[in-house]
Order: sequence, then structure tokens, then C-alpha cells
Amino acid sequence: MATYKVSYVITGSNHPGAIINRHDRPTIGENIRLGPNTFEVIEVFDLVPPRGEFHYLHATCKKVNSDQNEEN
Amino acid sequence: MKIEDVFRKIELFNGLSDQELKLVEMICKEKRFTPGEVIVSQGEYTDELYVITQGFVEVHLGKPSKKIKDLVTLGEGQITGEISLVDQGPRSATVAAGTEPTTVQIIDRKDLETICLETPSIGYIIMRNIATDLAFKLRHRNINEGGEYGDL
Repeated sequence: MATYKVSYVITGSNHPGAIINRHDRPTIGENIRLGPNTFEVIEVFDLVPPRGEFHYLHATCKKVNSDQNEEN
Repeated sequence: MKIEDVFRKIELFNGLSDQELKLVEMICKEKRFTPGEVIVSQGEYTDELYVITQGFVEVHLGKPSKKIKDLVTLGEGQITGEISLVDQGPRSATVAAGTEPTTVQIIDRKDLETICLETPSIGYIIMRNIATDLAFKLRHRNINEGGEYGDL
């Protein structure tokens, strides 16, 4: 089973971003939770070529506004 | 989930045979941390590599009581402590459990060195994977600091 190692970089925020493994490729428009905050994925690309079952991705995210956070 | 199934999804062990992975499993010790609990403090000398198997850790510059700058959040499958493992220097950052309970597997440097010397194929694979992980973290930081990927 493939593992996707994702470098999440947050734009417009002081959040330092995150590196997280997941079992599927992130998609544009998807919401992710990092601690108490929710972010929307706005860009995804392969950072380096895959090796074995491991894929190395970058995802740019933006913070979802607080109203939407409360809904999530 | 069995620990070997968890380890198979951890990049540090990518490329190890089933037999080699069992040898590595034997030197791992599980430890759990409560939310916010400090795992290592910047500046201290310890000889351990941490593999996050559940939860998140927050990495920041500065002592636990005096945070200077957040560096990154690391989730399941990531490693921390690899810099001091490689160069034997003091911890370059403080690492604390995130907002939920966190479980790590701890590998002692001497145990890892022993296994790598006795089975060089394990040593090559693990050191290659540590190098790959460090490169990935550097790319993450560069994009984080530099903005657009194309600007690098």
C-alpha cells in the first residue's frame, strides 16, 4: 500500500506547516486539520520522485476562516 | 494493528527485509506522552531517535519555557532526533507532544550502531532513509521560508 509523505506549507499564516504521512494523495479543495485549525489545500505536486511505496508531495494550504472552522 | 504493520509505513524502515525489520523492532521501546509534554529540550544531550507512531509533535526553537520560533509539526510516521543521532551534538530544537496523546518508538543510538555494524545492509538502508528524511525537511523549510517553489 502506498504511503504519501506530505509537506504542508501554510500561506498567509504564522503556522510553520507540517509533515505528515497519509494513505491517499491530498486533493485541491480538501480540508485538513492541524491541531485546532482547519486548512484548505490549494495546490499539490510531487516534490521528488517516489521511491518504493513512498511518495513525496508538497501541498500548499490556506487557513479556513473561523466561521467555517466552527462548522467543521 | 501489529507493530510490524505500523513499521512498514514508516519511511525510516523502507527497504528493510522482514528479517531485518524484526531485528530493528527488538531495539525499539515504546513511550507515550500526554498533550504538551516535552519529549526533548533544545540544548540537552540525549542519544535517542524518536519515531512517531501516533499523534503529532510540535518542534520549536528555544527552551520549553521560552519558545522562540515554531519550526514544524510532525505527524505519524515521521522521525525526530535524527540530527543529534548523526552528529552527536546537543538537541537542535525542542520537541513536545501536540494537542493529543502521542506515542513514539525510541531507538537508542548505541543499539542502532551495534545493529548497523553487525548487519551493514541495515545500516546502509537506515542511514539512507535518515538522509532522505533530512532532505525532505530541508525542502519543506525552504518552501516555507521562500514562498513560491519556483522562487528557490
